[in-house]
Amino acid sequence: MWEKILTGFGYWDIYSWLIFLAIAGFFTLWLRNSGRQDYKEGTYQDEIYFSGNDVPEDGADISVPADSAYWGFIKFFTPYYDFMAKFHNGLVQDYVGYFILFIAVLTTLIVFV
Amino acid sequence: MMKLEKYLEILPKSLWVFLCNSGSCNGCDIEIVATLSPRYDIERLGMKLVGTPKHADVLLVTGPVTRFMKEKLERIYAQMPDPKVVMVIGNCGCSGDVFYKSYNLVGPVDNVLPVDVYVHGCPPRPEAIIEGAAKAVLKIEEKRKALLAEQADTVKAGAV
Repeated sequence: MWEKILTGFGYWDIYSWLIFLAIAGFFTLWLRNSGRQDYKEGTYQDEIYFSGNDVPEDGADISVPADSAYWGFIKFFTPYYDFMAKFHNGLVQDYVGYFILFIAVLTTLIVFV
Repeated sequence: MMKLEKYLEILPKSLWVFLCNSGSCNGCDIEIVATLSPRYDIERLGMKLVGTPKHADVLLVTGPVTRFMKEKLERIYAQMPDPKVVMVIGNCGCSGDVFYKSYNLVGPVDNVLPVDVYVHGCPPRPEAIIEGAAKAVLKIEEKRKALLAEQADTVKAGAV
């Protein structure tokens, strides 16, 4: 069950991985343990640093959504979007109708112009 | 502090500094940046700016404290681990300078925080800031020893 698996690029061995994880885990915990431990719990030292401000309970209260940058763009094109949205009513018959109409217009242009 | 620090006789780490502009015109901040530049290169002495007070040993404050910044400055100071020192850079932070008695100021920095090192100048030259940092090392070393003594007393009292 736990035999080496040759992949063509090397081998995959569960014991090698366990040894690797044990060594990596030891060093990770050792590094973590050597950090500062003298901060005072329950004081400001224990809180998130938020540029000196109170940490908001809900990030949405203070965040500015990315689409705010496009406010003017969206406002300018609103009539166009409204017009285009009317075509998208979800009825397949309508979509096929638009397709046939479009092909007819193109064909007319190609044949007669 | 780190476990290893308890066994060292001298300051076990270089000064890490957090900069807070509490209402400065930015002149002192530019001089602090000059102190970090290759010409003065304070990083050769291990001192560096950090992005959070939670990693800092020294709080550099530039400018007089505006009403808007008072609470934020206090919180930043409170978030720094002990031992910590406050270093004021520039005349405005030290005394209020020409903005003294201005309606929108709380006053010089020592009206808000306990200041350990004052560096005068408008703005102070980088050499003056480096000298201030050297004095900050002495201050923080004193505080570290006091803190260690206090911890030892606490341990002794606990054992008794």
